[in-house]
Amino acid sequence: MAVQYSGVRESRDGRVNDFGGSSEQAQKKFEGKCLKRADRSFAQGLQCQQINSMACLMSLEDSVFISHSPQGCVGCTIMAVDMFRVGQAHRGEKLIKNPRIIVTNLDQKSVVFGGEQKLRESVRKAVERYNPKLIFVYASCASGIIGDDIDSICQDLGDEYPDTTIVPIHCEGFKSKICASGFDAAFLSINKYILKKEKKETIPNLINLFAPTTVSYADQKEMERMLNLIGAEVNYIPFYSSLEKIKRIPQAAASTSICKVFADEFMKTLEEDYGIPYSHTVMPIGIRNTDKWYRGIAKVIGKEKEVEEIIAKEHERIEPLVAKIRARLEGKRVFICGGTGRSFAAAALIDDFGMKLVGLETPTYDADAQVDVEYLNGIHKDFVIDIANMQPFEQVNLVKKLKPDAFIGVPDWAAKLGIPTTHVLDGKRPTMGYDGLLYLGNKIADQLSNPGFNKKIAEHVKLPYRDSWYEEDAFKYIIGD
Amino acid sequence: MSFVTENPRGGCVLSGINSVLAAIDHVCPILHSGPGCCMQTTAAEQGQSGHKHACFVSGVSLPSSNMLEKEVVFGGANKLRTTIQGAIDIIDAQAYFVLTGCTAGIIGDDVQSVVDEFTEKGHKVYAIDTPGFAGDSLLGYETVWNTFIDKVIQPATKKKADLVNIFGIVPYHDPFWAGTLEEIERILNKLGLKVNTFFTKHQGIDVIEHCSEAALNIIINPWLFKGPAEKFEKKFGVPSIRFPFIPVGATDTTRFVREVASSLKLDDALVEKVIKEEEDYVYSYLAQSIGQLSWKRFAVAGDASNAIAITRYLANDYSFSPILVVITENIFRPEDKERIIKEISELEYANPPKIVFASDQWEINKAIREEPEDISLLVGSTNEKEVALEKEIQYLNATFPMNERLVFNRTYSGYRGSLTLTEDLYDNL
Repeated sequence: MAVQYSGVRESRDGRVNDFGGSSEQAQKKFEGKCLKRADRSFAQGLQCQQINSMACLMSLEDSVFISHSPQGCVGCTIMAVDMFRVGQAHRGEKLIKNPRIIVTNLDQKSVVFGGEQKLRESVRKAVERYNPKLIFVYASCASGIIGDDIDSICQDLGDEYPDTTIVPIHCEGFKSKICASGFDAAFLSINKYILKKEKKETIPNLINLFAPTTVSYADQKEMERMLNLIGAEVNYIPFYSSLEKIKRIPQAAASTSICKVFADEFMKTLEEDYGIPYSHTVMPIGIRNTDKWYRGIAKVIGKEKEVEEIIAKEHERIEPLVAKIRARLEGKRVFICGGTGRSFAAAALIDDFGMKLVGLETPTYDADAQVDVEYLNGIHKDFVIDIANMQPFEQVNLVKKLKPDAFIGVPDWAAKLGIPTTHVLDGKRPTMGYDGLLYLGNKIADQLSNPGFNKKIAEHVKLPYRDSWYEEDAFKYIIGD
Repeated sequence: MSFVTENPRGGCVLSGINSVLAAIDHVCPILHSGPGCCMQTTAAEQGQSGHKHACFVSGVSLPSSNMLEKEVVFGGANKLRTTIQGAIDIIDAQAYFVLTGCTAGIIGDDVQSVVDEFTEKGHKVYAIDTPGFAGDSLLGYETVWNTFIDKVIQPATKKKADLVNIFGIVPYHDPFWAGTLEEIERILNKLGLKVNTFFTKHQGIDVIEHCSEAALNIIINPWLFKGPAEKFEKKFGVPSIRFPFIPVGATDTTRFVREVASSLKLDDALVEKVIKEEEDYVYSYLAQSIGQLSWKRFAVAGDASNAIAITRYLANDYSFSPILVVITENIFRPEDKERIIKEISELEYANPPKIVFASDQWEINKAIREEPEDISLLVGSTNEKEVALEKEIQYLNATFPMNERLVFNRTYSGYRGSLTLTEDLYDNL
C-alpha cells in the first residue's frame, strides 16, 4: 500500500530548495541524482506554508477562518483579503464583504497551559455570529510546538455544532521550507473532512479547474472561455467558490490547475481516491505554455481534434499581434524571479517574444523543474539558476553582474537598480491565456521603452547592501550542496 | 493577555517591533523566528498602512534564521549566529536588532548570549527578547523604546534646552505617521524648537543614542508610552507631558502649542504670533468654501488617539454632529479609559456621542449597525467599509488598517492637515 502523502513537499524524492549555479550544471546534477538538499547559512525571510493555506481558501462562501495562533500569524491574510475585496468588485458585487477571520490569539498563558479554551471560544463565536457551513482551523508554529491537539478539539466541537463542518489544517510553519506545502495541507484536509472518499456520479463534461487566490477575474474568464470552447463545464475552485462547489469535485470527469504547484498533489489524490484523471502541465502564460496547458486538458477529455482547430484559430488571431510585440523585444536580455509556476512560465513566455534568458530564480527544483530547464537550456543555452525562496540579496548580486535589459518578477529591488521591471504575479489584471499574453507583452515592452521611473529612483535610492557584497559570489552562503 | 479577535487590527508584538524599527533610518531587524514571520509581521503593519513599506529592509529582505523542525528540536543558536554574521557582512546598517519569534521564545533559545558574542567584537547588535505571543503591535512600540532606554540611549553630556522628543505616534500603525510627524515638527520649529521625530528625515540610531539631551518628551497619545516615559525620566532626567490625542484643526492644535509652550516656558509673544499666523492660514481657506460640505451626523471607528482627534475636529471646528465613537484598541487601565471618554465627551457646543470600546470586528460592526440614531458619515478603517456600504452612507478611510488609498506624507493633523481632512470629506451630495 502506498504511503499517504504528508503534505510536506520536501518528502517527495529529489526535491531541492537551495542551489545556485549554471542551468546546465543543474540539469546534469539532477540527472545524476547529485543535486543534494542544501541550506543557507545566511538567509532572508521565507514565505511560510500557513500563509498559503489561509490565502487559498479565503474567498470561500459561508466560511469562517480561525487561526490558532498569536495575532501576527494573520498578517499576510491582508493580501488575500485585498484580492477578495477587489475580486468582489470585479465580479460586480455592490456590498463588498470582509472575509471572517478569527485569531485565537495564543498568549503567554496559552503557551504554558495550552490554547484549547481559546480555540473552543473562537469556534463558538464563529457559529453564533455567522452560523457558517464551514470553519477552517489553521495550526501555527506556536500551536504545533505547544502541542495543542486541534484534530480532537475540532472533532469534539463538530459533535457540538453538527450543522457546521469543522476542518483542521496542519500548516505549522516550521514543518516545511516550501510554502506550496500549505496548499497541500489545505487540500489534504478538504479530502479528509469534506469529501471523505465518497464516490459520486460523474457529470460527463464537468472539469475541476483549480485556481489560487492570485488569479485575476480576467484570467478566470479567459480560462473558462477556453474550456467552454472544448465543451467543458467548469467547476472553478476553491477561489470564489463554496461548499457546494467543493462537494462537486468528485463528480468531475477531469481536473486541471491554473498554477503548476497548486493542487498538483491533490489532483493525484483525486485520481487515486475517485478515479478522476487530470492534466498537470504548465501555467498557461505565453503561447507555448497556453497551447501545452490547453492540449493537456483536452487530451484527458478526448478533445484532441477540437483543441487543435481552436489553437490554430487562436494562433491566427494573435500571432500578428505577438509579432508586433516581438519586434519591440527581440534579443533583450531578461532576469526572471517568481514562484515555481510563474518563473518557468515567464521563461517560456519570453521565448514568444524572442528575448534571451540570463538568470532565473525559482523556489524549488524537482522532476517538474527538470523538464522546464531541459527545454530552456535548449533555447537559451546556459543561464544562471538560483533555487531560492526569494532571497533578494542573491538576486541583486546576480542582476548587477548580469546587467539584464529587463527584470520580470517582484519589482522592488530590481527597480532600485534602475532596471525596467514587470510583475507576472498580477492578481488584478490579465496574465494568462492568449489574451493575457498580449497584455503582458505590451506591459513588458512599454516598461522597456519608457524606463524613466526606475532609472531616476536608482539615482536617488540605494539598496541596503554593502558595495562589497556585489563583488562576492552570489551563492557563497549556500552550504552542503 | 490577549483576546480571541475577529479581523484583528495589526499584528503581534513582533510585528510592532519590526515596523517601528523599519521606520528608523539604516536599522536592520534580524528575525530569529519561524520561516513566515518576516512576511507576516511586515504585512500585518506596513502592509495595511496605505501601501508603503520600509525602504531599507522589510518583508522578504529581512534577515531571518527561518527556524524549521531541526531548530525546533535541537535549538536555533547556531543558525542565529551565522544569520547575524551574514547580516553584518552584507547589510549596510548602522545597528542590528535581533527579534524573537514564538518558536525561539517557546523553545527557549538564549538569544542574548549569541548577541553578546557580536557586541564583544564591537558591533552594534541588540537583542529584543520579547516573543511574538507576548502581545500586540502597540506593545511592540513600547518594547522597542524600553530596549532603547535600557541599551541604546546614552546619558547626555550636555542638555539642549530647545530640543524635544516626540512619542506616541506609531509608525505604520498610524498610516499618516510620516505626514503627522512632519506637521508637528513644522509647528514646533516655528516656536524655535528642534525636534526628534525619530522616524522622518532619515533620522537614525545616532539620534536615538543622543535623545537624552532633550528638554522635554512630548507624548501625543491618550495612553501609550506610560511605562517608558517614567523609565526615561528616571534614567535620563527628561520630563514628559502627555497631549492626549493627535491635534487636528485650529482649536486643538492651538491647545497643543500652548501646552508645549507652557511646559518649556517659551516666549509668549512668539507663541501668540505663531498661533495667529497658523489659525489665519486655516481660516483663510475655510472661509473660501463655506457650505460646500453637506451637514453630517457622524460615527468614528479607530485607535483612540485618532478617534478623539477626528471627533473633536468635526464636532468643535466643523459643527458636524457626533453620534458614535468606537475605540478599537484594547485599553486596559481604567484611568486611560477615563481620559479617552473625557476628551470625546467634553465638546464645546455639540452633544457628546456614545462611546464604545471594541477591538473585535464583529462587535465594532454591531455597534455601528445597531446604532439607533441616524448616521450619514462613517470615518473608519478599511474594515468598516463593509458596514458603511450596508448602511449606504458616506465613508472615509482615515484609520488603520488603511487599504483604500496610497499614503506618503498625507496627514489630517495640525493646522494644515485639518484642511486635507475637510477636502477629503467633499461628497458632492
